[in-house]
Amino acid sequence: MRAGTARSGESMLAQLVLSGISQGCLYALVALAMTVVYRATTVVNFGHGDLLMAGAFAVYVLVIFAKVPFIPAALLAIGLLFATGVGIQHWLIRPILRGPHLSLAMMAIAVGYFLRGVARVFWGREVLPFPKIYPDKSFFLGSVVLNSSDLVITGSAIALFFLLWLLFAVTPVGKTAQAVFQSQRGAALVGINVGAFHGAMWGLGAAMAAVGGILIAPVTLLYPDMSASTLIRGFAAMTLGGFGSFPGAVIGGLLLGVMEMLVGGYVGSRFIDITAYLVIILVLLVRPVGLFGRQVVVRV
Amino acid sequence: MSDKRWLSEPRIFYVVPVLALAIPILVNDYIQYIVNLILVYVLVGVGFNIVIGNLGQLAFANAAFFGIGAYTTGLLMYHFQVPFPLALVAGGLVGAGAGALVSLPALRGVRGFYLAIITLALGELMRWVYVHAESVTLGSMGLHVPLPFIGGIALKNDYGKFYVFLFVVVALVVSTSNLLRSRFGRAFMSIRDNELAAASVGIHTARYIVLAFAWSGFVVGVGGGLYAALVRQVSPEAFNLLELIVHFAIVTIGGLASLGGSILGAVILTAAPEFIRDLPGFEELLLATLMLVILLFLPRGFVSILARFIPAIRDRYYRE
Repeated sequence: MRAGTARSGESMLAQLVLSGISQGCLYALVALAMTVVYRATTVVNFGHGDLLMAGAFAVYVLVIFAKVPFIPAALLAIGLLFATGVGIQHWLIRPILRGPHLSLAMMAIAVGYFLRGVARVFWGREVLPFPKIYPDKSFFLGSVVLNSSDLVITGSAIALFFLLWLLFAVTPVGKTAQAVFQSQRGAALVGINVGAFHGAMWGLGAAMAAVGGILIAPVTLLYPDMSASTLIRGFAAMTLGGFGSFPGAVIGGLLLGVMEMLVGGYVGSRFIDITAYLVIILVLLVRPVGLFGRQVVVRV
Repeated sequence: MSDKRWLSEPRIFYVVPVLALAIPILVNDYIQYIVNLILVYVLVGVGFNIVIGNLGQLAFANAAFFGIGAYTTGLLMYHFQVPFPLALVAGGLVGAGAGALVSLPALRGVRGFYLAIITLALGELMRWVYVHAESVTLGSMGLHVPLPFIGGIALKNDYGKFYVFLFVVVALVVSTSNLLRSRFGRAFMSIRDNELAAASVGIHTARYIVLAFAWSGFVVGVGGGLYAALVRQVSPEAFNLLELIVHFAIVTIGGLASLGGSILGAVILTAAPEFIRDLPGFEELLLATLMLVILLFLPRGFVSILARFIPAIRDRYYRE
């Protein structure tokens, strides 16, 4: 993608790894948001990519049409997506929560597809530039180049990872999530409001999707189908790190980002796209628990 | 009630293809094309339903089976001038092979969401192969499928294709119906409902899982072959994630684990978008809304409404 031209092998490697980390932060963010929802509610959100797109479009509409300055618009969009997540859980997921995996997967797909339809009604197949508040600059670390977008993405992602770590490791939210994941009935018996907790976690997942959308959109531009490839990469990051593991989602995302860059740099750029697919297939066949996961295999 | 007894008679289903024989006399080119497309999607839905409805596995490789069938048929006709009927059978067989291959992770214990994700990855991998194996598949531009012949007669227009398609679809739907009502079909559903119990009463679950996937791949692969002959243009983008969502919607909106449902779903989801195709976004909204309605209010699909009036559907093709 932006691998160096004719540089020494070592600095090319450093360049690829650093670019990969910036890219991987986005995958980690997507994987982490899906992990939050999965760990709290045992639902895999197949519509996460479209929430990401919705978050980016919300900022776009606020900035371009309502003339809201960027930072308040971003905060507003994150809040809006939080409310959307809570609403999805309350009106759409809760009524069918006892249903089979298939219904839950279908619901997530339907919600995502609906959002995409709404975006398509207004923007068709247009590709829109996304408002950018930081200047395009390149920084040199020796012979390695870093773009301002790399720094913004990596910095925001690390800040968000830290906040989430605080939320799940320091506050009681982490223990609540663990209790609800293990047994919703048991959690309810010890006084946890499982419905409200699920709602809050769907909200959190959707709000994180908005953050991801705001960070990705300046790089990928804005269009209704922008998230299709992101979703599978999020799955690959989760699978690699271990499904349901928070550190796994972050490390899986970073590793995937670096792997894609290395494959692109040393093997060929056409192979970037299949890195994620091959990771999913190999990990699930060889070591289904990933790097940090628990038992997932069901045998009869 | 006695005057309604004929509605309980399973043989009334044969009325549908017999009446359908008259369609080419009644409709114009455009509608005939849509009817043929419906026949293709009947196979897509019927095949997909075997795996997700009857066997109860969350396998999302259906668009891949469809593409594999279409590419096999199309490539054999394009590169080797293989006659259409042979190429069609080959499309089904390669689809069946792909189905058996996809069942292997399921046999290794990759189930539920994990199976969904690994099959999604497989489908996308196939699409990448179509794009990048240019020397064989002609890349992202796709390949132009030669004119199909049946016994020396060229299928020049959609009216001729219709009779061939109808014959193939009826044959596959009837054989699938028989399969699902046999020992095999009961084994599929016992695996869906409780795999451990199924294994403990002596059902060789692995064998039936492979069989269900392979038959599903065969039916969908033949569907892909018909698609190649109908559209005569096979390109990678026809088998992407959006196509998969349409397949998924056909099965769930029509009715899970119901043959009648798959047929109904194929009719609804192939015909309805034609009315709104000039309005961007409405196809997505229609599909998503129908899925939401089904999930929240009609979990057995639209076929459950039909089954209220036609007992034969309820008795044979739609079970609680």
